[in-house]
Amino acid sequence: MASKIGVYVCHCGMNIAGTVDVPAVIEAAKAMPRVALSKEYKFACSDPGQEMIKQDIKAHGLDAIVVAACSPLMHEKTFRRAVEAAGLNPFLLSIANIREQGSWVTEDPAKATEKAKAIVAGAVFRAARQEPLEMRSVEIHRAALVVGGGIAGIQAALDLADSGIPTTLVERQPSIGGYMAMFDKTFPTLDCSACILTPKMTAVGQHENIKLMAYSEVESVSGFVGNFQVRIRRKAAYVDHTKCNGCGMCMEKCPYKAPSEFDQGLSQRRAIYVPFAQAVPNKPVIDPATCVRFKGKKCKTCIKFCEPGAIDFEQKDSVEEVTVGSIVVATGFQPMDAKKIPQLAYGRHPEVYTALEFERLNNAAGPTQGKILTKDGRVPQSVAILNCTGSRDTNYHEYCSRVCCMYALKYAHLIKEKLHEATVFDFYIDMRCFGKGYEEFYRRLQDEGVRFIRGKAAQVFGGKEYKAIANAAGFIDGLEDHQLVVQAEDSLLGKLIRVPVDMVVLTPAVEARADADEVGRKFLVSRGADGFFLEQHPKLAPVSTTNDGVYIAGACQGPKDIPDSVAQGSAAAGKALGLIARREVEVEGTTASVVDELCSGCKCCLTLCAYNAISFDADRHRSSINEVLCKGCGTCVASCPSSAIKAKHFTDEQIFAEIEGLMSM
Amino acid sequence: MDVATPFIEVANAIVEAGGKDLNLCYQCATCTGSCPWGYVEPLNIRQLIHLAQLGLEGYESEDLWKCTTCGTCKTRCPRGVGIIDLVRSIRMMIGETGLIPLTLRSALGSVRGDGNPWNGSRVERNRWAGPLQVPIFDKARTEYLLYGCCMASYDVRSRKIVEAAVRVLRAAGVTFGVMGQGEECCAESVRKIGEESLFERVAGSNIELFKAQGVEKIIVLSPHCYDAFKNDYPALGGKFQVVHIVEKIASLLLLDKLRLERPVKAKVTYHDPCYLGRHNNLFDPPRMILSKIPGLEFEEMYRARELSLCCGGGGGRMWMETKFGQRFSDLRIPEALAVGANVLATSCPYCVNMLQDSRLNLNKEEAIEVKDLTELVAESLV
Amino acid sequence: MSFEPRIVGILCNWCSYTGADLAGTSRMKYAPNVRVVRVMCSGRMDPTLVLKAFQEGADGVLLAGCHIGDCHYISGNLKTLRRIPLLKRVLVELGIEPERLRLEWVSASEGARYQGVVNEFVEQIRSLGPLDLEARRLPATASAS
Ligand SMILES: Cc1cc2nc3c(=O)[nH]c(=O)nc-3n(C[C@H](O)[C@H](O)[C@H](O)COP(=O)(O)OP(=O)(O)OC[C@H]3O[C@@H](n4cnc5c(N)ncnc54)[C@H](O)[C@@H]3O)c2cc1C
Ligand code: SF4
Ligand code: SF4
Ligand code: FES
Repeated sequence: MASKIGVYVCHCGMNIAGTVDVPAVIEAAKAMPRVALSKEYKFACSDPGQEMIKQDIKAHGLDAIVVAACSPLMHEKTFRRAVEAAGLNPFLLSIANIREQGSWVTEDPAKATEKAKAIVAGAVFRAARQEPLEMRSVEIHRAALVVGGGIAGIQAALDLADSGIPTTLVERQPSIGGYMAMFDKTFPTLDCSACILTPKMTAVGQHENIKLMAYSEVESVSGFVGNFQVRIRRKAAYVDHTKCNGCGMCMEKCPYKAPSEFDQGLSQRRAIYVPFAQAVPNKPVIDPATCVRFKGKKCKTCIKFCEPGAIDFEQKDSVEEVTVGSIVVATGFQPMDAKKIPQLAYGRHPEVYTALEFERLNNAAGPTQGKILTKDGRVPQSVAILNCTGSRDTNYHEYCSRVCCMYALKYAHLIKEKLHEATVFDFYIDMRCFGKGYEEFYRRLQDEGVRFIRGKAAQVFGGKEYKAIANAAGFIDGLEDHQLVVQAEDSLLGKLIRVPVDMVVLTPAVEARADADEVGRKFLVSRGADGFFLEQHPKLAPVSTTNDGVYIAGACQGPKDIPDSVAQGSAAAGKALGLIARREVEVEGTTASVVDELCSGCKCCLTLCAYNAISFDADRHRSSINEVLCKGCGTCVASCPSSAIKAKHFTDEQIFAEIEGLMSM
Repeated sequence: MDVATPFIEVANAIVEAGGKDLNLCYQCATCTGSCPWGYVEPLNIRQLIHLAQLGLEGYESEDLWKCTTCGTCKTRCPRGVGIIDLVRSIRMMIGETGLIPLTLRSALGSVRGDGNPWNGSRVERNRWAGPLQVPIFDKARTEYLLYGCCMASYDVRSRKIVEAAVRVLRAAGVTFGVMGQGEECCAESVRKIGEESLFERVAGSNIELFKAQGVEKIIVLSPHCYDAFKNDYPALGGKFQVVHIVEKIASLLLLDKLRLERPVKAKVTYHDPCYLGRHNNLFDPPRMILSKIPGLEFEEMYRARELSLCCGGGGGRMWMETKFGQRFSDLRIPEALAVGANVLATSCPYCVNMLQDSRLNLNKEEAIEVKDLTELVAESLV
Repeated sequence: MSFEPRIVGILCNWCSYTGADLAGTSRMKYAPNVRVVRVMCSGRMDPTLVLKAFQEGADGVLLAGCHIGDCHYISGNLKTLRRIPLLKRVLVELGIEPERLRLEWVSASEGARYQGVVNEFVEQIRSLGPLDLEARRLPATASAS
């Protein structure tokens, strides 16, 4: 047990000292058992602060250290390093969190001081009982996994692979590309999306260091930083891709059709299909929901036309296991279902489009070869774009989706470019053009004659509906049945306005994928209140997560545009590389172990461990724990009826002592 | 152009009077664009809110009393602003300066004196129960208090609704009684007019009375009573289990306690009352009930469910004169006719009244009838 | 002077402790009565820790972990959840109101929830009054270290 404890109380500038009476805490600490020395310092985490602690350890022979400062999640590592540099085992340090859980949450200085004293006492009592522990070092597996083949995942995979790291890229869909593959042009530069994306996709497909697993999903992840074991399920494509030469005869001949997911249902694809012409991999899959063979019919068309004989209706899902050192999760987003907002008439009126539908309508490779046409084939004379569909809206998503203002401008431009005569109205609350070149793009669109109306569109009526309900006061001259009426208040005029248009484009919010919950659980990545994956720190660790070795990139972390998604993809790859470059990681030795003499052989613990780290030695009639598998959660410790399992650094004695300390003040 | 200087004290006073969300409004204008007044003579509720944010006046005083508290704006407001609470608190402040419209003052006076807004006498209340042999509520013998609303006691048309309700509830074996003496108006509209203290007094007296009689469950016919009992009374200590007759009928049908066997030959459309639908999310039960009536054909209007058009009777408008050409209910009749309906059903005595008036004013007696859903259910009993 | 409860909080490292820190970084104010012990997972929350806290004079014990399904160690919190009913029965045996023990799920992003939980629990304990185990003559159960 330690007998010469040094206590350091940090002011953290005014962050702590502004509320807590630091000298009083110092005095109280002096009176605590086994405290040899008690000092205050302005910024304990600074170099001179750490130096002071090191000097004291050496000069006074301190054998345990308490730092009362910010949360251990902030600086425990910093102080452990300092303590270690002075020759003390880093586990002989104890942090008293008097900032995040003290000075910052308490207004009354007297109460804050009292609480700080108690927290320090808890740490002092605990420190006395802490024991030296060794860090374990584990080798890092020189391989990476990227989940999600949108632009963020593509970028991450290419960066990793280019650095020589064997990388597995898992994509759920039959092709990589994500949403970007659906766009015709990208704001604000108006580059053609396919022109900048296709080369990257091809590079992924051909890279010697990338193992692309499309039409696949991660089933489970086990292990820990440096050594993740990942099981990946490849869905049966019913086509042997090693034989298929991508000729496409099957797709031409297949007689059965279903709405194309890629074209947002605006066109048809076959039962055997690739989602789009530039797909990577460019090998078809058979959709069992559409193929009639799965309904007991006897069609053989594809088999007949496939020269290399690649069609294989016997194919089953296959599962592969890979071991990787780090993981990048880049699973992207989904657009909100616009039907949730009944007043905007989506799903009720054919000429109300979602943004993605409009992307396809406008795409040269889309259902209309890029001609902007209504469903009944007319060229629209006027189009209304409605911003903030479900974004910045507490009924749906409180946050701003960050891309809609910009792609609304993009659409306005494309309409203007293709249909010179058409009038474009953009209904907005605020135009948010924060990125590089974005405000300039806005100005350009004003110059192109887009009519901006400041007022969120409140209601969309079908022309026919409108005529049935409007009275004389609401009469709109020349309104045709197939048209739409957009109603809003132009708040700059203070007038209610009704605009008859031929087409309405909505901008549905960017939201977390419906299965983000499940995916987050698989990779132990938590989610914020908005549903997106949570980064370790919003400013300082934007692509790291609280799960070491797992990084996030792109729109799965929050709404973002392509430049930001790419930047995060590279950042995550950089992080993963940095980890791999270390070759080994130190993991805390805070595992559990069985005290042989105390184990009664009751086997209670065996089923408790989520990692199967506990095994039973029938001969000796004792349990034992594999410390490589143990993650140190302590669940078995709490459940052992004989108190025979010890959680290193979280022993009963240590926690009891901490409680005694907390209650001693 | 006018010059204005913000008067922040006024803004703060509005917040204190209950308009706690005033400062959250980011002026997106969804509210003005959604308000049913847009169909007749637009009400710029967005601007009214912004003026209030700066403590300014400058709106037509008439505008403030236009709001029917239909809730269309409130349910759509992307900032979740309790717009109706704002309207209430602004009205409250105006009310203190005595600027309440005359007709409203008379209704309020009647509530104050007679416990109802219709200048009816107290002894008339619940008199309808006598001929129908509805007993006085007695917690040992009756499970529910049937709260008929002032409308049932003082309005001839509404009496038919309560009669239908009595038949239906009896047919299903529900036991219920009415309050003997002392019951008053639910005061829902009183609160929306901004007369908070009168509301508290009247509601308080009801709560005391109900508690003293051991009332636990209440069946109401009006969505306005429903809203008051359910959403306003608990804060004053009145926590009762409140069911609207539509909810009750729907659950009786589900439990197979009620059989609708007599065919009702009619083409029906349904008008969602603001206080049942938007305010309390009861959109499905009425449709479920209609689907169970044999022989009945049902057609939705365009403005259905969340999009329903206010009848114009809420928020105190029931007691105000609305100019011809500005009555929302006058728009609803042609809308119902346009879908080919010969019965316009709803489930609120205010709506029934407003729509009935429009039907007569527009000379559509031949073409369409206005009925409460409860009446249709009663017709379908054998 | 009014009664100021002293409460021991045992928080899991990944969600609840991080959530409590978040309340701090967001400068949310809440009752100062809870003194926190950090453990790696709510699965570590051994009944003896709770009994020890009461024995040392705590008026209440707050346990908090990740929401069900979010446990960093997959299912530690489920194990704890199952322990609580029995532990509450033990408390009753010992003459301690079971309401003095509370198990809550607070995620890393729920600073505001942590604030709410603490304030509410402190008020609850305040209304229960001091535990004063001496007076209730608790037999020594949790072995002191
Ligand atoms: C209508 C619209 C227009 C836009 N226009 C532009 C523009 O012009 N310019 C611009 O800069 N930005 C634009 N954006 C933003 C752009 O779409 C995003 O920045 C970008 O798509 C984000 O890329 P991502 O890789 O993070 O996600 P995604 O594109 O969503 O890709 C994620 C990928 O992961 C896969 N996946 C998901 N879950 C799993 C799983 N569990 N396992 C395996 N794979 C999985 C998906 O199938 C998908 O391929 C627009 C957005 C929208 C909605
Ligand atoms: S809808 Fe809400 S936020 Fe928008 S202007 Fe009206 S009150 Fe303000
Ligand atoms: S509550 Fe109804 S009437 Fe009142 S302002 Fe809002 S939309 Fe208009
Ligand atoms: S890690 Fe939080 S409860 Fe298990």
